[in-house]
Parts: sequence; C-alpha cells; structure tokens
Amino acid sequence: MAFLDWLDERTGIRAATRLMLEEDVPGGARLRYVFGSVLVFLFMQQVVLGILLAFYYSPSATDAWASTAYLNDQVTYGWFLRGLHHHGSSAMVVVVVLHLLQVVFAGAYRKPREVNWWTGLVMGAIVLAFALTGYLLPWDQKGYWATQVATGIMGTVPGGEPLQQFVQGGADYGNLTLTRFFALHVFVLPIALGGLLVAHLLLFRKHGVTPPELPEAELRRKTQPFWPNQLFLDVLAMTICAAVLVGLTVKTHGAELFAPADPASNFVARPEWYFLFLFQLLKYFQGPLQIVATVLLPGAAAAYLFALPFVDRAKSRALRSRWSVLSGVGLLMAGVTALTAVAIVEDANNESFQHGVEQAHAEAGRARELAREGVPPVGGVAVFDNDPEQKTRNLFKEHCGTCHTLEGKGSEEAPVLDGFTSREWLAALVRNPRDRRFYGATKHNTMEPLTTEQASDEELAAVVEYLISLSGASAAASVDAAMVARGKELWDKKLECSSCHELEAGKDSTGPTLAGRGSPAWIARIIRDSSQKDLYGDTAEMPKFADKLTQEQIEALAQFVASRKTP
Amino acid sequence: MSSGSGGEPDAGRRGVLKLGIGALGLGLAAVPAVPAIGYLLYPTGGKAGEGAFLPAGKRSAFVGAVPVRVDLYADKVDAWNKTPDVKLGSCWVLERDGALHAFSTVCPHLGCAVDYDAESQKFKCPCHRSAFGLDGAVEAGPSPRPLDALDLQEENGLVAIRLVRYRQGVARKEPV
Repeated sequence: MAFLDWLDERTGIRAATRLMLEEDVPGGARLRYVFGSVLVFLFMQQVVLGILLAFYYSPSATDAWASTAYLNDQVTYGWFLRGLHHHGSSAMVVVVVLHLLQVVFAGAYRKPREVNWWTGLVMGAIVLAFALTGYLLPWDQKGYWATQVATGIMGTVPGGEPLQQFVQGGADYGNLTLTRFFALHVFVLPIALGGLLVAHLLLFRKHGVTPPELPEAELRRKTQPFWPNQLFLDVLAMTICAAVLVGLTVKTHGAELFAPADPASNFVARPEWYFLFLFQLLKYFQGPLQIVATVLLPGAAAAYLFALPFVDRAKSRALRSRWSVLSGVGLLMAGVTALTAVAIVEDANNESFQHGVEQAHAEAGRARELAREGVPPVGGVAVFDNDPEQKTRNLFKEHCGTCHTLEGKGSEEAPVLDGFTSREWLAALVRNPRDRRFYGATKHNTMEPLTTEQASDEELAAVVEYLISLSGASAAASVDAAMVARGKELWDKKLECSSCHELEAGKDSTGPTLAGRGSPAWIARIIRDSSQKDLYGDTAEMPKFADKLTQEQIEALAQFVASRKTP
Repeated sequence: MSSGSGGEPDAGRRGVLKLGIGALGLGLAAVPAVPAIGYLLYPTGGKAGEGAFLPAGKRSAFVGAVPVRVDLYADKVDAWNKTPDVKLGSCWVLERDGALHAFSTVCPHLGCAVDYDAESQKFKCPCHRSAFGLDGAVEAGPSPRPLDALDLQEENGLVAIRLVRYRQGVARKEPV
C-alpha cells in the first residue's frame, strides 16, 4: 500500500476516512437505522442517473419530447437508465416516509434533535419538489397536463400568481417553463438537498442515533461500531432497494413516455401516485372552498409535523407516554393512505378514464414509432407529420387545397372532395351540377341538372347504385343487386346520361368516363392529367401533376381522396 | 436486529461484513455504471453512410474554367430531429477539358473552408496558407493531399454531386 501511504502523507485521507466511519452505535447495529443511509444511496443514484440522462436530454419546448423519445427508444439502455431514475423517485418518496415514521416511532424528533428533524422535513419537501419538476421535463401529455394542474393551483392561491408566473416563465407554458423546471430540477434542488444533507448528517453525528429505551449500562455493553456492523446492514438494505428498482424497471420496461404535449388535446391527466391523495382531496373542496384542499389542510399537516417537538410534552420517549403524538401522525398517514386508495378505486371504476388511458397508450405508441425516423424540428407534436396519411394531408393542403375543399378547409374553386366517392355526392351532383360544391366554379359547368320530372329520387338512387357498381371503388362490393339492375335499365333505356358519359375507359366524350369513377386509379389519372379526352378534355382546368409530384405521391393522394367520407 | 456478540471484538465476523460491504457496494455501483457504458457510447463508432447524389443545379450554370461554389441541400437526421432541406455543405465546381469536376471546400489539412482566389487562379485555404491548383493539386502549404474530388453526375442537363467528408490531416483520402 505504498501508494496509499504516499497519498495519506499528503492528504491525511486515512484519518478522514476513520473520522467518517468510526462511530459507536450504542445498543448495537439495527435494521431500523438503515433508512437514512438508503436515502443517501438513492439520492446519489438519482444524481448519477440524472447526469446520464442530461447527456441526451434537451430542455426546450421543441426538443424535449423528441430528445426523450430518442433517449428512451433508440439510445442503448436509455430506457433502463430513465426507468431507474423514474422509479427511483418513487422509491425516495417511500423511503422518506419510512424514515419519517421510524423517527417518529423512536421519538428522535425530541430535544436535542429538533433542528435535525426540521432539516429532514425540508428535505422531504425537496424530494417532492424534485418529483414535481421532473415530471414535466419529458414534455409529454402526462407531464404537461399534470403539471398544469399543479401550477394552476399555485395561481389560485392568494398571492400565488406571481409565483406561478415565475416558475412558468410567463403566463403560458413554453420554452421558459422547461428551462426553469430544468434549472430547478438539476441545479437548485440538488444543491439545496446536498447542503441540507450535510447539515443533517453533521447534526446526526453530533447527537448520534436515538438508541432503544435500555439502561445505560446495557446500551454500552451492546455497542457496535458503525463500520462495518451498521454499514453492512445499510448496504444490505440499499441492495434490496436497488434489486426492487431494477426488477420494477425491467418489468415495466422503464418509464412511460406518452405522446408529445398537445395543448389542443384533452388528456386524462393524473399526478404521480404519491400525489394522488392531494388530487383526491381536491375533489371534496370546490369553489371558494378549494383553498382548504390546496393550502389549508396540507399546510396544517406540515405545520403539525414541524411543531411536533413542541406538541410532544411527554416526559420520556416511551411509546406509552407519547400516544397522542403517535396517533396524530398515524391519523395523518391513514388519511393519506385512504385518500390514495379512494382515488385509485375511483379511477379503476371510471370507464371513461380507462378508455382515455387506453387511447393515450395507443397514441403514445404511434408517436414513438413515428419518432424513430426523426421528429420535425417544429416540435414534438409534429411527429405525427411522419405519418404517411399526415404527409398526404400536407401534400393535399399544399397542392390541392388551393382549389378544392376537404374537411371544411380549402378553397371552393373546384369540387368539394368530402365524400367524393359516395352515393350522396353523386346524387346531389346530378340534381345540381352547377352548384359551387360541384362544378359551378369551373369551366366544366356544362352539365344540365336532372330534374325530378326526368327521374324520381328513387330512380336516381338506382342509377347511382349502378354507377357505384361500375366504380371499382371499395363501395362497389356492397351494392344492392336489384337496384343495380334497375339503374342499368334506366341508363340504357330512359336517361340520356350516355350522350356525354361513356361507361368504358378510353372512349372520348364530352363528360368524363364513368368506368371506375371514384376508384383510386381513376382519381390518380385525373391528378396526373385531367385533360385526357375520356376525362374532362377541353374543359379541364386542373394543373397536370404528372411531372410535379412523384408516382407514389399521386397514388397516395388518390387513395386519400377516395377514402374521404362525407362529413 | 441487534447482534449477540456485543462490543467484543470479533475480527473474523467483521472481516466477512467488510467483504460483504465491498461486494454489495460494487454491485450497487454496477447497476447504473454497466449500462452507462453502452449508453454513453451510442451512437459513436458508426460510419456515415455513402450519401446520395444531391442536386447542384443546371449544367449550364457551370460553363467555363472559373470555379463556382455550390451549396448542397438534403434532408438531415440529427439525433432526434429530422429537418427537411438543410444545407449540408458546399463544393467548388468547374469545367476542365469539357468535363465537370467537383472539389470539397473542406481543406484536407485541418478542415477550414477553402476559398477561390480569382487573381492567382488558385484555391487558397485562409487558415494555414495551403494553395491548390485548378486540378486540385497542392501547390503550397501544409496540406498532405490534393483537394478532395467529389463524385459528380450529369443527367438531363442537371448536375448532382455526392457530398462526402474525408479524414483530415492524412495523405490518404478516406471517408469518415
């Protein structure tokens, strides 16, 4: 150990290590002393994992979701490290509560350890603040909406609005919200917790553990050193905790990542499980009473815990003499547990909530699949532009929407395309072809309307059914055979449609051929060049897209138009 | 769980405990550390793809021996972002003996952008004074190899160029 000697001579590292590890535990090592150490371990692990996550995460409204999806779904073991960080926060909350209960049980908050009790309570609050700020960072639906509720509550509290604006970085959520939450989560809170932890540990070393109620002599006789006796138990507990975390992370395949935050959606927002009791409490106090659930009750509970050293007037630490304090804290825990349970049960029985969750999962899966090819720089929600249908939609908007209307959007220079292949569209067209919905605004407005004298509604329906049967479109599979036969007879013998319209492709005439009308292939031909002789000929005004768009784009557009239903 | 041995020294037992602490401690550290290796290495070590030919303009834009600088655009995937039509880089295009040639603007020495000096009819690097002839050959300065020629395609009067980045500072031209 020549190197250690060398180092020790220059740093005094051996004495420092001894100072840290050599401490007597009066009454001997105990399993119930492990919680503090486990929390230190969890905090350190969260710090390491947080730093690792920061290697890929980018805190901006446009990048946050995309970088999280990348980290989670593409980077090697990203899901595992993020999952561990996520479940680690739950573990911290659980162990904070266990630590607190152990301290209350042992009466360790009493004189002379009051300040240590208070630093502990503040650290507990910081752990919750960590959870709250971390929740938003992925900028997914769940984080976005759940955090909206939290900052919204801030705004309803008297005098809370400036604070809300401060943490949000303005009146709305956006880049500044993320940068602020990020700064709080990765700088302010860890430094605050680290500082308090040092104070907490120094105070702990000053006063030592709160030993069991045994005669002084017996405590001394059973005394064991912290190193290695207590530390072994501590590390054992850390290992159990880590094993549970790893198991949980593998079982859930990491943390959930919902679809990108969409301010226009209606997401079924729920806070993380350890805030459910507050969420549930809020349901019982509405309107002017809301402040009872948001501030008064939680504030009273916190005040009670802070005042515990003074509330406790008992002469000794014996459990018997402290029944009022113990039952007070017990009641608090029971209340929190009950509210949490009610919230879970209510959600489990709430069908619309369950349906919403299912939809959210489906949407999340779709978004994350589409994110694999890269998210457009506009931001998370733009990931849906990767969807082939959305691509086609954008193509339509760019090239077709300047003349055609679809789903209420676009111009009316050319026929409205909603339900273009439907029976309703055809029947309405025949009755009123010069309406702006059809060819009224185009050069192709030469068709005469078919009046009810020329053909009754019922006869028209039969002809339409006949045309549908010839369309080759998907609707052709579901035609009514009797009506088709009737329609054919009317077409052949009574009506004069065939003087302009052919029923064979390639035959020239004034009106477009109706063979295959409405099928994707027929629509694609029109998109390529509508002035072909068997289509709109001289009356065609539509640009020829054959050399403007690729073959695939034209086919996709044709499919898209053919599949649009009447709104 | 208090131990029965009390305060009496029990060196053997303590040795086992110390060993246990070491072993479990290592295990705890390994939980984030081992996956972190693969995590942090992602996606380094991968080769950039061959690259497609990118449109550079009409053939008629490149007449004569005066080099023209062209920016090349394509869709780019950068980690989580996919950005359409981004400027990926540029190259010098010139006509020699009736044929078009393209050179990367990246100096083979240390990667500065090579400029064209019309007066001396040479490509000159502004950083370390490398100079290259119109054929790309090194005429002065520290560059270890000629300007990197890029593949060029002509089709229907349109010119397309394949943008490739090569390793800097070495005599051999190898893609990175």
